[in-house]
Amino acid sequence: MAEIRRYWPTATAALAFRLVLIFFSGDLNLGARPEVATPLSSLRRLAEGYWLKQSSLSPYAGSMYHGSPLLLSVLGPLIAKRTEDRPTYFYCSLLFVLVDFISALLIRSIGQKLSVSKSQSIKSLSKKEENLENNKNLGDFASLIYLWNPLTIVTCVGFCTSPIDNFMVILTLFGAISNIAPLAAFGFVMATHFTLYPIILIIPVILLLGFGPDAPSFKILKRKRFSWRPVILFIFWTLIWASYVLILSSISLKGVGGLNEMFKKTYGFILTVEDLSPNIGIFWYFFAEVFEFFRDFFLIVFHVNILFIVLPLAIRLKNRPVFLAFVYTAISAMLKSYPSVGDSALYLGLLGLFASELSDMQFSLFLFFGYIGVILLSPVMHNLWIWRGTGNANFYFATGLAYACLQTVLIVESVTSMLKHDRMLKKLKNG
Amino acid sequence: MLAKNTYISENALMPGSANSLLSYQDVSEGNKLITDISKIIIDKKRSADLEIPKLLAQYMQSTGAETYHHKLPQPPKSPFNPLHFFLLSAPTTLRSNQSFFATSTVGILRARAGDGKESIVLVSPYDLENGKESLGLAFMVFSLLSRASWLSKDVIWVAADSRFGDYATVSSWLSEYHNPNPNFNPNPNFGPGPDFGPGDDLGEGFKRAGTMACAIVFKVVERREKVGEERENVAIYSEGSNGQMPNLDLVNVVHYLGVHRQGFRVRVGKLGFLEGVRGIRVLGEVMARVGRFLRVLNPDWKFDVSSGEYVEGAATLASSIFAQAVGVPTGPHGAFRDYQIDAVTLELSPKFSLTNENARSAFLLRSGRLIEGTVRSVNNLLEKFHQSFFLYFLTGPNKFISVGVYMIPFALLISLLPILAASLFNFNLTPNPNPNPKNPWRWLKPAKFSLLIQTWAVVVSLLPFYISQIIDLPLNYSFLIWTLCSLLTLVVLYSIFGSPNSTEIEWRLLKAVMIASVSIGLCLMSIINFSTAQIGALFIVSMCLLARPIRGKMDNSIVKLIVSICNLVMVIIRFPLSGFLVREIINGNFGEMNFGVFWESMEYLWGWNSASYLYLFLVHLPCWLLFVHILFHPCN
Repeated sequence: MAEIRRYWPTATAALAFRLVLIFFSGDLNLGARPEVATPLSSLRRLAEGYWLKQSSLSPYAGSMYHGSPLLLSVLGPLIAKRTEDRPTYFYCSLLFVLVDFISALLIRSIGQKLSVSKSQSIKSLSKKEENLENNKNLGDFASLIYLWNPLTIVTCVGFCTSPIDNFMVILTLFGAISNIAPLAAFGFVMATHFTLYPIILIIPVILLLGFGPDAPSFKILKRKRFSWRPVILFIFWTLIWASYVLILSSISLKGVGGLNEMFKKTYGFILTVEDLSPNIGIFWYFFAEVFEFFRDFFLIVFHVNILFIVLPLAIRLKNRPVFLAFVYTAISAMLKSYPSVGDSALYLGLLGLFASELSDMQFSLFLFFGYIGVILLSPVMHNLWIWRGTGNANFYFATGLAYACLQTVLIVESVTSMLKHDRMLKKLKNG
Repeated sequence: MLAKNTYISENALMPGSANSLLSYQDVSEGNKLITDISKIIIDKKRSADLEIPKLLAQYMQSTGAETYHHKLPQPPKSPFNPLHFFLLSAPTTLRSNQSFFATSTVGILRARAGDGKESIVLVSPYDLENGKESLGLAFMVFSLLSRASWLSKDVIWVAADSRFGDYATVSSWLSEYHNPNPNFNPNPNFGPGPDFGPGDDLGEGFKRAGTMACAIVFKVVERREKVGEERENVAIYSEGSNGQMPNLDLVNVVHYLGVHRQGFRVRVGKLGFLEGVRGIRVLGEVMARVGRFLRVLNPDWKFDVSSGEYVEGAATLASSIFAQAVGVPTGPHGAFRDYQIDAVTLELSPKFSLTNENARSAFLLRSGRLIEGTVRSVNNLLEKFHQSFFLYFLTGPNKFISVGVYMIPFALLISLLPILAASLFNFNLTPNPNPNPKNPWRWLKPAKFSLLIQTWAVVVSLLPFYISQIIDLPLNYSFLIWTLCSLLTLVVLYSIFGSPNSTEIEWRLLKAVMIASVSIGLCLMSIINFSTAQIGALFIVSMCLLARPIRGKMDNSIVKLIVSICNLVMVIIRFPLSGFLVREIINGNFGEMNFGVFWESMEYLWGWNSASYLYLFLVHLPCWLLFVHILFHPCN
């Protein structure tokens, strides 16, 4: 990749752009777009839950709010603070800009750590240092991709809590790659608490703590010992943080529902797909059509889909835990019940970390224009269906399908070229 | 030729299955209203605009309808907002400090057999000069409906004062109907605007009936120039904003009742001059021959169309496409379409002069029966119009082309682009000694550049908004400022990021990226407004296919010469401004050519939130600029 000379100015420009957009957020009205805000992450619903809780009702009453009670305590006061001359949710948006910035910094340092380990492994493989120059700016590149990705920007100013969810996932990876077990455990517990799907990240995190960052296949390098100490530490800390979060939640929900209702209304809501309002995923359309007595069966089929893929990938890519984490996030972004563009923002940001490995990826032009096309098409189809009435649900679902196909192609192509890259390294070693 | 005969696909409509109940007695009531209005116009010239609504309200109340007035202040110029299409429609509040008002009178007839959840809207626009016949016609139908026992949907009659254009009045009434204004004063007598005095007892403010099932706008227009018409005419206008059409069933019902029951001659708009074009006539002749030949091959193929029919169909089709492409509604029915209500405008024109009492009565009777029949059909509906097509072109009042047919040629035209982009992208760079010629990420640089130009195009399309904020500039200056600002931004962008001809970008890649972005733009446009995309594609596809640098090498020098000349010609022709220039030159006012006119037409487009404006500036303009870049590519 091209050398990035001006990291800080570009990053600052991205943040400034966000701040400018915040002032126009009322006009853009992104929070009402189904692509951006899902029932899980919408800030409007969070405001509703906050008011319910303020009036000593359960925040989950009336099936409006489905997020964590901790977010209510953190973001609620910020939402309630409203002034006439400021745009709606001004303080929340400021917080999200900050969170995005920290996420970008974390991605940057993940990239730096990855490139260090990569240069070490390449050195041990061969004396030719052909790829070394490219690796230096990996972190900068990935973090700029994350910052300037239109999807990230839209998520940031779109009144949804996805920036925080994404931040927690990135924090997990950062903690794992820098071998700080408590931090990794914290990020992991929070991410799982917020959206449930990051629970599959436990495999890459354990691999990362056990084997260290990405390296060429074990067969080539001397087999590294799996170090149990950080893993056990991680599990220990995970238990501590999990019980801590549960205690905090139960305190905050004391008298207005309790933990039982929380699990039912958050995880239960995710797993049983109660809300069938349209989004860019594939669940809503299917479960709106399915017969009632098949519903449970198909719920299991759809959710097991993710779990099926987890294990084979873990075996094949165990030497590249960060890449494995990228693939997992991409798969769950595709197969989750309430996806939004915020999930895509996360995995596209992580994709930048593997720019040099994936330089041989096919169909990149197709994917690039495909993403642009689908993202522009989606609001148009929604307009055609909801506002003009000339289209119907099939029109909108078609863009959802196209989007899912694009993600599939992206995952397949990136995994293929990663394996190809490993084979190339093997040849380098042998030859 | 592929156009199908229309058919009524919703069975519940049952047009014409009941006998019309409208009699000469109703007509005489309508006539009475017309004479009363004429009297008012003659007697009280000054206060006629106040007296007519009063009179209308009296008449409406005499039928037992609930009545109120709706006031429209002089509409402010619609603010320019190019993103309006994508945003969710927000309620607009009207400024109320103007002193000119158009007062529409609205009467609501509650259906005896219905539950008040649905309604049918009749709109009769009028102003002081004309339109009293349509008021009379509306009253006729209205008073009949007030006595009808079969009515199951409420009927709303909007007598729209069209002093500021019928569209503005209707759309302001609709927006009030759908987005209640919290600041609205419930008592009309205390609101701003003309006072109707204490004698005018109309009860509490704005009233509503249920959701609107359909709306019929009718105007009676006396056309003096066409005396030779042997029958009375109904012209159907159906194009809404941005190529939206009402459900085909509604058009069909009107056509069926008009032709088969009342003996009207039904027309839809057509581009008259096309019928005179020789080429089309010849083509029609050829088509007729081919059709006859095919008929010989297989008698089941119904392709034989007489050449006259073909020419007429082509002209109608062209007008249909053109009306949809401009994206400006052809009548007040467009306002209804924005709220998903199917609506048509009927323009009724009599055979004889309307001053003749007998002729007028006969004409009113038949028109009234047409409208009564339509209302009765729609009254039968149990749900919204959904059976028939929304996406279609009319090639005649009873012929249409559906979306399934017209998408095919467009798709064929468009499908060239991705194929070409892929082939250009994989073009083997044999003379290049680069060891790694097939870097899959080699499109990044041209994509960056194309993104730059897109950004520029967005800036250009947004500029008029800021320029129009500057008060009272002459149109010429506005246009000049617009051009200068656009050029300036381009120069600034180039100086920051570097122009493509200085950086080393392979022109084939640049072309591939350009084609890819154009095909995305066209596909999107074809969904937003198919007609715009269709017309745009005709222009842009050839440009995309032929683009190549002048200095590039080619084996055959003659071919190269031809291609270069084609390209140079295209640079001039395809410039967004040039179409406008050509029109000016043809009209012969080259000498005092006024760029302000261009500005005015752009203002017209965005005033109606036309998607054509977006297309012109977000798809066509960047494509043209990229084309110029490819043409003057250094090719080293």
